[in-house]
Parts: sequence; C-alpha cells; structure tokens
Amino acid sequence: MNRTVVDYAAIERELKIFETEERRRLGLDEDVPRHWHDANPRSFTIADRETTTILLGGLTLAHDTLLTGALAGLGYRLQALPCPDTQSLRLGKEFGNRGQCNPTYFTVGNLLKTLTHLRDVDGLSVPDIIRRYVFLTAGACGPCRFGTYVTEYRKALADSGFEGFRVLLFQQQGGLRQATGEASGLEVNPAFFRAALRAAMAGDCLNLAGYRIRPYEVTAGETDAALAECRTWLYDALRRRRSVLMALRRCRRRLNRIVVDRLRPKPKVSIIGEFWAMTTEGDGNYRLQRFLEAEGAEVDIQPVVTWVLYNIWEHQYDTRRRLLLGGADPGRSGLEGKDGRTKLALLWSAEKAVRAVFALYTRAIGLEGYHLPHMDQVATISHQYYDNHLRGGEGHMEVGKLVQTVAHRKAHMVISIKPFGCMPSSGVSDGVQSLITARYPQAIFTAIETTGDGEVNAQSRIQMDLFKARQRAEEEFRRAVRLSGLGAAAPQQRWGRRFRAMHYPPHVVAGTAANQALELGDVAEWTEGATSA
Amino acid sequence: MTRTGQDGTPPGQAADTLVVGIDVGSTTVKAVVLDPVTRQILWSDYQRHETRQADKTLELLVAIGGAFAEVPRERIRMFITGSGSGPLREPLGAKFVQEVNAVTMAVDHLHPDVRAVIELGGQDAKIIVYQEQQQTGDKRAIASMNDKCASGTGATIDKCLIKAGIEPDEAMRLQWDPSKLHHVAAKCGVFAETDIVNLVKSGIPSNEILCSLADAIVSQNLSVLTRGQTLKPRVLLLGGPNTYLPFLQACWRQRIPEAWVARGFEWPKDVPVEDLIFVPKDAQYYAALGAAIYGLHQPAAVGRYRGLDALRSFIVTGRQAALGAKAGPPLVTDDDELARFRAAYTIPAFADARFAPGQVVRAVIGVDGGSTSSKAVLVDERGELLTKQYQLSKGNPIADTRELLARIRSFVESQGAALEVLGFGATGYAADVLEESLGADVNIVETVAHMMAAVKYCGDVDVICDIGGQDIKVLFMVNGEIRNFRLSNQCSAGNGMLLQAMANQFGLPVTEYADAAFRATLSATFSYGCAVFLDADRVNFQREGYSKDELLAGLAMVLPKNVWQYVVQIPRLAQLGHRYVLQGGTQYNLAALKAQVDYITARVPNASVRVHPHPGEAGAIGAALETLRVVTRRGFSTFIGLDAAIDLHYTTRHDETTTCRFCPNHCGRTFIDTVTPDGRTSRYIAGFSCEKGTVESLDALRALAQQRKALKIRYPNLVDYEARLAFRHFHSAEPPPPEGTIIDAVAVTRTVLGGVRRRAIRRAVRRSSAAAANRRESLRIGIPRVLNLYASAPVFRTYFEALGILDTNIVWSDETSEEMWAEGSRYGSIDPCYPSKVAQAHIHNLLLHKHAKQRLDYIYFPCITHMPTFVAGTQDSTSCPIVAGAPKVMRAAFTKEIDFFARAGVEYVDDAVTLLEPWYFARQMFETWGRRLGVTEDESDHACREGLRALRLFDDEMERRGMEILERLEAEHAVGVLLLGRPYHLDPGLHHGVPDEYQALGYPILTIRSIPKDPGWLARFFEDDLAHGLIASPLSVQDVWPENYSTNSVQKVWAAKFAARHPNLVVLDLSSFKCGHDAPTYGLIDNIINASGTPASALHDIDANKPSGSIRIRVKTYAHTLKRFQEVLADRAAQQGELRRRVDARRRELVAAWRGRLRGEARRNPRARHELSEMESMFQQYLDDDGVAASRDLPVDANRRDVAPPAPVEVLVFHRTRPPEAHR
Repeated sequence: MNRTVVDYAAIERELKIFETEERRRLGLDEDVPRHWHDANPRSFTIADRETTTILLGGLTLAHDTLLTGALAGLGYRLQALPCPDTQSLRLGKEFGNRGQCNPTYFTVGNLLKTLTHLRDVDGLSVPDIIRRYVFLTAGACGPCRFGTYVTEYRKALADSGFEGFRVLLFQQQGGLRQATGEASGLEVNPAFFRAALRAAMAGDCLNLAGYRIRPYEVTAGETDAALAECRTWLYDALRRRRSVLMALRRCRRRLNRIVVDRLRPKPKVSIIGEFWAMTTEGDGNYRLQRFLEAEGAEVDIQPVVTWVLYNIWEHQYDTRRRLLLGGADPGRSGLEGKDGRTKLALLWSAEKAVRAVFALYTRAIGLEGYHLPHMDQVATISHQYYDNHLRGGEGHMEVGKLVQTVAHRKAHMVISIKPFGCMPSSGVSDGVQSLITARYPQAIFTAIETTGDGEVNAQSRIQMDLFKARQRAEEEFRRAVRLSGLGAAAPQQRWGRRFRAMHYPPHVVAGTAANQALELGDVAEWTEGATSA
Repeated sequence: MTRTGQDGTPPGQAADTLVVGIDVGSTTVKAVVLDPVTRQILWSDYQRHETRQADKTLELLVAIGGAFAEVPRERIRMFITGSGSGPLREPLGAKFVQEVNAVTMAVDHLHPDVRAVIELGGQDAKIIVYQEQQQTGDKRAIASMNDKCASGTGATIDKCLIKAGIEPDEAMRLQWDPSKLHHVAAKCGVFAETDIVNLVKSGIPSNEILCSLADAIVSQNLSVLTRGQTLKPRVLLLGGPNTYLPFLQACWRQRIPEAWVARGFEWPKDVPVEDLIFVPKDAQYYAALGAAIYGLHQPAAVGRYRGLDALRSFIVTGRQAALGAKAGPPLVTDDDELARFRAAYTIPAFADARFAPGQVVRAVIGVDGGSTSSKAVLVDERGELLTKQYQLSKGNPIADTRELLARIRSFVESQGAALEVLGFGATGYAADVLEESLGADVNIVETVAHMMAAVKYCGDVDVICDIGGQDIKVLFMVNGEIRNFRLSNQCSAGNGMLLQAMANQFGLPVTEYADAAFRATLSATFSYGCAVFLDADRVNFQREGYSKDELLAGLAMVLPKNVWQYVVQIPRLAQLGHRYVLQGGTQYNLAALKAQVDYITARVPNASVRVHPHPGEAGAIGAALETLRVVTRRGFSTFIGLDAAIDLHYTTRHDETTTCRFCPNHCGRTFIDTVTPDGRTSRYIAGFSCEKGTVESLDALRALAQQRKALKIRYPNLVDYEARLAFRHFHSAEPPPPEGTIIDAVAVTRTVLGGVRRRAIRRAVRRSSAAAANRRESLRIGIPRVLNLYASAPVFRTYFEALGILDTNIVWSDETSEEMWAEGSRYGSIDPCYPSKVAQAHIHNLLLHKHAKQRLDYIYFPCITHMPTFVAGTQDSTSCPIVAGAPKVMRAAFTKEIDFFARAGVEYVDDAVTLLEPWYFARQMFETWGRRLGVTEDESDHACREGLRALRLFDDEMERRGMEILERLEAEHAVGVLLLGRPYHLDPGLHHGVPDEYQALGYPILTIRSIPKDPGWLARFFEDDLAHGLIASPLSVQDVWPENYSTNSVQKVWAAKFAARHPNLVVLDLSSFKCGHDAPTYGLIDNIINASGTPASALHDIDANKPSGSIRIRVKTYAHTLKRFQEVLADRAAQQGELRRRVDARRRELVAAWRGRLRGEARRNPRARHELSEMESMFQQYLDDDGVAASRDLPVDANRRDVAPPAPVEVLVFHRTRPPEAHR
C-alpha cells in the first residue's frame, strides 16, 4: 500500500529559515539587547605568589612599612603605595563615581597613580601589570560607603584601561572569610592575622611615641630621624620573623636619646573622626597632625588597634543581645546556625590577646601610662546619645571619646575630622556632638569636613579654636606651676631636661607641660575650681 | 586712606610705637594702625587686591611708612589675619591671628555688650555667639563658620546681582519688603543662582528677587550656622553685604526677633530693633583691628616688623619658587601652539545679510531666552542665517525680547527692505512666557534646539556639548537623533557664569579672559566640583600665591573636567564617538575652548572637535529652524506680529490678588499681563508649585480636576498610590489571644557553664490588665512621615493598632512641603541630605500642629538599622547610617538648648529596631514599648507578628497593581516609567512632582515595590543570566554588584536590571544631594541601563528647593526621547505583526504545496480520496493550531523569552487521524 507522509518537520524547518531571513529583513534581529555584568577578576593562586607583587597602603607611613615587612615575612612579595596626595585625588575623581567620599577618591586614585607610573614611566605593558601585580585592601559590609570601595576600584580600573586588574579583599568583620576565590594565593589564616596585627600594633606604638616626643624635641627633626631608624629595625624584625619586643626595646633606647623640654605649654589636641581621615598623614586630611604641631600643639592620635577592638566589641554586643532570645534570627547579626556561646568565647579571647600584646608592646617601647579605651564604657556613656545599634564608621565611639576626653580632662581640644558628607560622622555624629557640647560647655570641639581641596577654610577653623585651646593650656600651666611650687621664674631652665624623652608625666590635667610641672612638684590632685578642658 | 589722631590730634603726634593690623581677605586688603597706649585707630585704609595681595599690602605699608615716617621700623609690630595672609607672614615678620579670633577681639574691645556677631564675608559666613557661664558670669565665644556648601556669602550675592541685572549702587538703595517673597534656595550659591535665573525669566521684578535672596540667606544662616542657638541681643552685623545692603540688614531685623518669639526669649521691647541688631561704623576694619588688639596682648618680641625688603623679594621671586612643582602646565606652551589653535578655532566673524532697497525679506525669528543673556536670529525660508542679535539680560524676558525684535526690524528696515515675519519660535528659560505673551509658534526645549542647530551646521555628529552661562548640556547622537543626554544638575551648574564672575572679580572684561589665561606660564590645578567649591579653591590658590592669569588658566582647564567627569561621568570618552561639536556662549572664550579641545583630543583617538560657527546662538537657530518647519507644514503662524510684539505693553503683578487659594499652600503667583497695541491681551502665570496654580477660577479648577481624574485612571501613578497606602489603615490586626489561651512557647535559660538552653513548652498567654488596655485607647502617638517609614509604616501602625491604640490616634506628620520646611527648619545643627534633615520639620509639625490640636503622648521615631529586602543573597540588609541615625540627631537638635519635648509634655522615643530579625525585633519593641504602653511581652510579640504581616500585605497590594500595569503595557505596546529611588522619594516634597510630570504626559508610573517579585514570573526576563549561571535567582544582583549590603541601594540596582530587561519600561532615576549610598550605584545603574539601551532620565542632587528649570529641561528632553521610544515600540510591534503575517502566509504556501501533491496522488489512487478528506481537516487544524503557536513563537518583543522554543517536529504518517499534540 502506498503511504504518503506529510513532513511537518520539514515545513517547520523551512519556516524557521524563512523567519530568520524575515527578521533580518525587517531589522528585528538588531533589537536583542545586551546586558551588562561586572567582570570581577579575583584569581590569585599559590602558584602566582612567587611572581606577583601585592600592593597595599592607606594607613600611616609606619603602618604601611611594617605591614609590608610582616607579610613579606610570610613569604609574599609586597610593595607599599606612597601616601595618597592631591594627584591621587584628581585621578580618583576622574575615574570614580561622582559624590563619593574622598577616602575613596584618594585610595582609588593612589592605586591608579601607581599603575600609571608602572605603565608610563617603568614601561610595563598593561597585561604585564595585570599579571604581576594585585592590590590588597580591607573590606566591610557596610553600612557606610566603606563597604563599596571595591566597587569603586573595579569601576576606576576598568575605565582607566586596567580592566582585569585584581583587587583582593579581606573582610575586616568577616573573621577568616575572604573573597579571593579557592586555592587562594593569599592565605587569610591565623598567621596572616597575627602578622598583620603585630605590624599594626608596632606601628601604633611608634606613632604614639612620635607624637608624644616631637612637640617637645629641643632640636628640630631629631624625632623624625630616630623614628626612621626605628621603622627600619621593626621592619627587619617583622620580615625576618624575629622578636618585635626586642626591636621595640631598641627603639625605646634610641628614642630616649632625643633631648626634650616638656615644660613648654602646648595645647593638647585629640584627633577623632572617620577612620581614614584621622589616620592618614597626607593631603587627605591636609596633613592635619603636622599642621597642628606646626601651630604649636601636641597631637593625641587614635591607634589603629582601637578600631580592631571596636570591631570585636560590635560582635560581642550583638551576640550578647541576641543570646537569650526565644529563637535564632537570620541575617549577619542573627544567631541562626551559629553557636553564640562559642562565638563570645572566641571574641573574649581575641580581645584579651590584643590587649595583652599591645600592653607588652607599649611597655617595651616605653609608652608610660598609655591605656586602650574600655569599649563597654565608651558604649555605655554614649548609648543615650548615640544608640549602640547604630553602626558605620566609628559608630558611637566619637561621641564616647568626646565625653571621656572632656570629663577626664584628656585634651584641651578635640578635632573630629571626616570626609565631606561622611555618613556616620558628619551625618550623625556631628549632630549628636552638638548636644554633647551643650551638655559640656567647657569642651572645645571642632568638626572638620575635608574635600581634599582647599585647606584654607579647614585650617582657619582649626586655628580659631586652637587659639582658645592655647590660652587654656597656658593658663593651666601657670596654675600648675603655682601649685607645684616651682615658682614663676622660667621653670624650663631648671627642670626642663630632667627627664628622658619617653618619660610621660602622669595624667592629672590635659596639658603635658602642666602635668610635668605637677609631677615635679609632687602634686597629684588638681584643686577644685581649676578647669583644664 | 584715613589718618586720625587721638581725640582729633593732628597726624604726626601719635605714639612712637605702633601696632599694625592687616587683614588679607579674599577680595581686599585692609590695614589699621593702632596706638598701643590709647588703643585709638591712627590710620586705616583698604584696597581691592585682584589677586595681587602682596603688591597691595606693599602699597599699604608704603603709605603707612609715609604717614608715620617718624616711627622707626624696630618700633613697629605687625599682626596679620585673613585667608590670604599665609605667604606674607614670614616676609613681614607678622604674627598670624585667625580671622574669627581677630573679629572677636575687636568686638570684645569695642562692644562688650554684644552677645552675637554675624559676619558675611566674600567667601565665608561666620556666627559668633557669646555664652555666659551662669556661675562665674564669664563670657565664652562660640564661633561657627560655614562649610564648603553653605551659601549666603558676598560672592553669591555678587553673582545674583549680575543675574538680576542690578547695579551695586541700586542694590544699596533697595528697601526690604517681606510681602513679596519667592522661593530661593540659599543652601548653596549655585542653587541660589539657579532659582534666581528662574525668577528673572519668569518676569519677577528684581527688587522682589533680591529681597527673596536676602530672606533665603538669613534663613539659611539662622537654621544652620547658629547650630540651633538663639542669637540674643545685642546682635552685631559685620562684613560687606551686611554693611552695604540695607534690605539685608532689615531682613535680619525681622527674622531674628521672630526666632526670639518662637523660642520664648524675652528681649527689651523698649529698645528699637535697630539698636538690638546693629551695624557698626568701620565694620570692614574689624578683623584688622582685632589682629592689632591681639598684638597688644603679646610679648614685645612677637610680631616684629621686618621691613619691606623681604616682601619685595617675595613679590619678585618668592611666589614662583613657592609654587614650585605643585603648579599645573600652562594653557599654551609657546606662541606657535597658540597661533595654530587660533587659526583652527577662532570662530569666523559673521557677516550680516545685505538686502536690496524695497526687498521683502521673508523669514522666521528664533529667540533663546538664556540664563544670563537672550539671543535672537533671523532665518530665511531656506534656513540661512540673516542676522543674529545678543542682549545681556536686563531682568525681564519680555523687555529683552522686545529690544531684540526692534533691533532685527531696524536691521532690515535700515537697508530699505521690508521684513515679513513668517513665524516666531522660542527656547530657553524664557520660552514659556514668550509662548504665552507673543503667541510663539514653537516652544522648543533647549536640548532639541541645540541638536537641530548642530546638525544643520556640522552634519552627522556623535556628541554635542553646549555650555551656557548656567547649564551644561551634552547630547549623545545616533543617526541624527538624540540617543541620550546629560544635563548639569543643581550642583554642576553655573560654570559659564563662574568664568564671567571670576573675570569681573579681577576687574577684567570677559572678552579679555582668554588673552590673560594664555599669558600664564603655569596654572592652578583645580579638581572638578561645583562652582562654589571652585570659588573656594580659588581663594586657597590665591593664598598660595597664584596670579590672576594663572588662576584664570586653571579655571578654564577645570571646565572640561566639570563637563566630562562631573556632568557626563563617562571617563572613556572614545566610547561616545569621535565627532564632537562644541557650542554655547562659553565657547567664545578661547581659553575655555582650548581647554576643551585639549581634553577631548587627549582622550579620543582621531577626534574631530568642531566649534559651532554660531556657538552662542545655536539655541535660537534651532528654534528658528523648528519654527520654519512647523509654520511651513501648518500653513499659518500664531505669532502676534513683529510690530505688536515690539510695542507690547506688559505688567507684572505679585500680590494678594495673585495668590493661589486652591490649596493651603497659597503659592505666591506672579501674573504677567500683556496687551498688544490693538488691544489683545494675554496672561502668563508664574510661581505656582502645582497645576492648580495654572487656573484662576473655580470652574476652570473643576475642569482641570476632571481632566486630572481621567488621566489618573488611564495612567496610574503608583508613586502617589504607594505614598498614601503606606500610611493608611488597610489591615485590621487580629487581637492578641485571650488571657490563659494555651500556646506553644520557648523557655530560655542559662546553664551553669554559661550556655543557653531552649525548651519548647506550652503555657498560658499573659495579658495586661483591663485598666492598661483602657489607657491605651486614649493614648496618641505621633510619627514623622519620613525616611524609611515610607517602607515600614504599616509595621508600626499595625503594631500599635494590635495593642489597642485607635487607628485615629496614630498620627502622621503631613507630607513634606516647602512651607513645612520653611517653618520647621531651624533646629538643625548639621547639614546632611535633605530627606534626613527634613525630619526636623516633621517633628516640628507634630509638636506645633498635631500636638497643639490634640495632645500627643509620644513622638516615635525609631532608629531603623536594618530593612528587609526582596533581593536574594545579599551580604546584609542595612539602612543608610544617616537614615538610621537621624532620630538621634533630631533628639539632639530638639533638646540641646531648650528641651522642646519636655516643654510640650511629649515623650520622644527613638530606640533602635531591626526589621530583619523577627525575634530580635520583638525583643526591641517590647523593651521600648512594654512599660510605656503597659503591655505584656506576649501581647507585644503578637503585635510584632501582625505588623510584619501588614508589611507583606502592603507588598502584595503594590505588586498586584504593578502587575496590572505591566500586563497592559505589554498588550498595548505602551511605555511605563519606573521610578528608581529610595523609599522616601515617594514623598511629593522630595520628588518635587517629577513623576507627576510624566503621568501628565500619558505614562503610567511604577515603583520598585510594585514590580512583581514572583521568581517564576520574573524568570522570563532573566532567562539568559540564569542559564549562564550568572545569578542563582532572578532576584539577585550578584552579577553586577557583589558589595550589596544596603537594602535601598540593592533594590535600586535590581530594579535597574529589571527595567533593562523589560521592553516597555523606561527609567526615572532620582537621587538626593549628598546621598552617600546612591553614589556607588551611579556607575552601576549607568552601565546596566546603557548596555540595554533603555531610555533613562536621572535627576541627581535634588534638595530642598524644587529645581524647576532643571526639571523642565529634563522632562521636555526626555519627553522627546520617550515619544521616539514609543514610536519604536509601535514600529517594532507592527514589524512583529508583519513577520507573523508573512510566516503564516508562508506556512499556508507550504501546506498548499503538500495539499497539491496529495490531491495528485488521490487522483491516481481512489482509495486515498477518503484519507484526503481527513487530511484536509488535519491541514486546517495544523494551520489553526500553528497560527496560535506561531503567534506564541513570535514574541511581541525580541527580548521576551516567555515562550517555549518550537516543539520538536515529528513525521506525520498519512493515515494517522490527528496531527501530533506536539504542535500545540
């Protein structure tokens, strides 16, 4: 029997061809939109370690140098970026999003400046740069813009012709988490953290010593020269994985050779604010620390380790608050799938370890009377003004530090420095600080927003308040001299060089010179009615 | 210069020791010589320095030397202050005194009874408040200075005077009149200028504009710079503007006492206000005098004058050396380069057309009423330019236009020819008023006008960049059409004006700017930024010692950075194309032009950068060309005629009778009435904030309302709907279970070792007492309608309702409005984004209005730290830190000087909550409200569950509405606008009615919340991304943004992704000024939207003021784009239909061929006839079915992926009875 088959498949096949041609003819094939996805190159393997240089930077000269040494000691090739300057800012602004805060522009621009130098001056090809260098930076999970810096790095690198350049990120709050992919060349393990912390704490100690001595050095430049030597010794100790304590002791001996005169009354200015702006020592904060010293002030800086303690405290607080709930919640702070008790135990150990090592280091370098803040105390005194649940930047710490500084006469003046439009600091803290200054009218508090350009206004405002602080320091000193019975006639000549450089008089009032005078007169109490801060 | 002896003693008999105070400010140098014994001023003088601070200081010192020749140099001490004093300190041996301290010294010395000082300088504003220590009676000066953004300074006033066309002398005679004030944003100088331009172009009289500016400046300083402190009498006014402008003084004298009343401060009513708030004599010398007085307190060795030699040497060599390597390169390296540039880019002189006597010139007129000037062109029927006329704005656009038209008429008639005007078209700020008053044929948006002019003269181009006095417009072209555009916003405006103002400041005509800038051998390196920042940076550079020429060169060189980095924000210029056209009046400044050309050619290989032959008149030419097209096509003109226009009489009225009474806002409108010589009248209305202001009678309002209602039904606005629904009662919460009801619960205990043990238990519910419940029924809770409450209000409303608070006792503040802000904005101490700082006005609204009307027990403003999100797999779900912390800032603002809550008897509650963790949220709510409301934890927990349920219902309702719109858009091939914004951009006071503008144009408006979030429904849009493993869920943003922890930001980014994949959606992107969380998303959203080609309009940096001009240009330009997009959608749908038809026809052809073969076979084989008849029905069924299948296979849009791929085709055996199911 004849069987005829209607081949519908052939009809459909022919129709498909026909349709494709018709689509083309009608221009419909051009309509398919493309979608953008962010290339996020992160591979850095163990095999790359030998041939790849890790770029890092963004803290102080001491920290960047020592961190480089510490990680070199773990077998990495490292290069610290120079301190970001206004050229970095301009590059950052050219290739970054509009409306970012200036630490983003400075740090992003600083990386671009370095890469451009490698390309245009050192003559490396872009593929070579991408193959031979990676950038290591800290990350965060918000809630302020700090958490999105990596987004900015990627955008700027892509737009400036370095697409594919790798940015490695370690989460400051993520414990040992990392975002560098499997079989990572960067092992963010306990050894890494230990090395980084040792470098950070040694850097803190060096900076703290420097800011204590420099304002009182008799021969200008002597402190900086000594600090440069100390940095080298500490770098070597970290790189060779030798005793940091021994190196710190050697630093103490060297620093003690500096001749100081601590009976020169100087206003003591505590710098608080946004982490980067108060830490950097370059154009990013108009070289604030050096400016203040040039204006005759002693600078009280915040060590990086305080930031580490704050991060530990955040986890402790969040965990404690949730430990006794009827159930576990999801989310970063929720305890779903987590063992709250173990977490608290680990955090307790971490805090104790950090404090213990820091105490050893400060003792070794001879930072007399230096104490890290008690984070629960800071949190408690600030909670009524700045809820402890509010995070981002320094959180409630700025408020707590101001209250403590004023209440305990720790400094004559407090400067809170932050990038223009800094969300936690200028957007919240400054608002709350206006209440604190109303409650503590004796506080001299100056909030400064930096844009990176035009330092005239900022410096002028600082000078405005420094004038008052100076008057207060001088008055305090005069009173201290009277109380100590040293006599009004030029006590400097009689007593000024009695102590070694690393000696720091016990704290009674804000001014170091006044404290020194009180110590000389064996006066430990500040009499009623005497105000210092 | 003045020299006065003590008590009139003749010069020359003064003390033999002198103390000199010098103040080097941003524009002037002042010097004062003081007798150290008597403290009398012996000599004083000031000079404008025009950036030659050192030279002018030298001149003053030479004069002092001459006046006090008898005093030896060693007996002169010098103290210096001011922002420009830095480099001069060392050469002079002068001791520096910070200027506020100097002023404080002078005030202490001269006016010990003063308790507050307000000084407005050229660049900065300062307020000093003296606080008295209660115990000791000591006075302590608390000073505050403006941050970089604040306006209210002399420089702003100077620029606004130019904009308003007022000479300084005239301004000094102007009197304060508070009855006719208009909105001017004084937060920032550029914002203020933008508003001033709009007022000028709306025909508002200049005296009203300046009084409005004064009021805005005073209000801004009172709300921000006082840091919330009361300025108590006597108040001293210092600084140039306060000294010379009587209307500004009078404004202070009105507004400060108003603040005294508001704060309950008692002042001596018997003292005239002129004595309480006063301007001293010689106010300009206070800083210099203060510096000298400071010197009197210093040891004799301090401030020893070194003489003039070091200063002279500094002037000659020190300055350049100090600048060293920091300086930037010059604009031109040598004369050859300059000559080459001039040859290539000097705009050829235009020769006006010549006419024969008696010739009738048939032409159209185009007018561009720009921000600082008006331009008119005459274009003949062939589109050729006959003449162009320029008019610096004199303040009123009608007057300017009349003058221009008269010049055109005279131009033609002076040659003995006659002018026949075929039509009249207008563009620019003044287009609306000209359309109404002159009957313009065309009112075309500037962007489109510029595009037409560029295409006419430069042909096929890729990028058109227009820089006017106020605005920067950059158009990206494809095939002669605008594909995309970028406009300067409030923050990036005023660049052209800045160049002009800077030249003025240096006493240089703007026409000589380029020559000066080309002379510079180095330049100051500015970073891009707003005009106010640049001006501030200029002062900084001046201080460093840069000369006028170097500053002008630097400013020219920052212009391209502002265009390409600040406005356009596309660092890779090459991706835009290589054919650039530059136009706009600023291109006449060859220094600015060269900087632009250098910038572009350095970044774009093979760049062709052309300057438009008529750069300043491009807008007017575009208007004329469009007029020609319209009039030719229509066949007639609506223009009132040239003579009538020139002789037009107009009046402007702004008083009680013009105020709009159709809503409580009472907008102060301005009526511009025109009468032609033959008696035809027209009225243009300006100054309203909503469309109700466009009508004058109730009937007209009713007609408008009906029109509006129909529009709302046809084109729903979900922004409006969501904003209302969020705060409405829409879910009746279940009451907590009765006392004793057995429930499942968890018992939590600590173990001996510190562990935690949780046991499931069953226990009875605990309820609060009946008395507590009764009390709750009368409690009233006020909540500000702000920030993330737009996304969470249903939670809190339902929580309270579930606990027995009556729904009418949950009181929300009103929606944000200008009036609310004006009334309640003076508590603030800081200046964050507007959405958060406006919270103070809402709390004021609750305290002063709601509470005053009916008592509130609590004002609740929770610090919401975390917001839940629909976006999948995010790193966290945090709120913005400013948004979360705003309640604490408000607490500080309302309690620091006076506790406004305590005074009103209201408790302010601002504890933190997270909406992300249900267990912890319940704990936080109980800790906050358990005691206050007298509820048990069981009750509070239940209410929390109900609250979170209400939030889900809120989402469901919005998604249902969104789905309806999206389905209709797809079915009708229509366009919908998706608002990308943060939740609080639903607030009409924050979005400034921009979504409504698009609704009025006939587009439905969707919100992020209204997009359906069902992953199954969404899958078709994200099919490729899912298939390639880029994302694990359609609700993920992992493929574009791994750093995704901020709830509102990730939701914006996700919505951008959705819009990029939905064929019928376009984007309206709103962002507030200073929004730190939007900043990182700008680039992401651009990339997402640009890759897909989705039309988008962004309005960033929106703030308290409604940027009407900016909105108008954007809306009109975007409307042009959307119209084209709508046409593309329609064309595409038609092509899809055509494709469907053709495929269907082809199918029938193929089936027919088979049928033919089978028929042939049937003829040969009779047994097959029966099967053939069966086959016929099968063929028919195949065709019918495939008709359906085919239409399914051919999606409406090529982007759609919602249909299965064509089914596998099977072989059909002849004697089977049915075609296979697979075809269905």
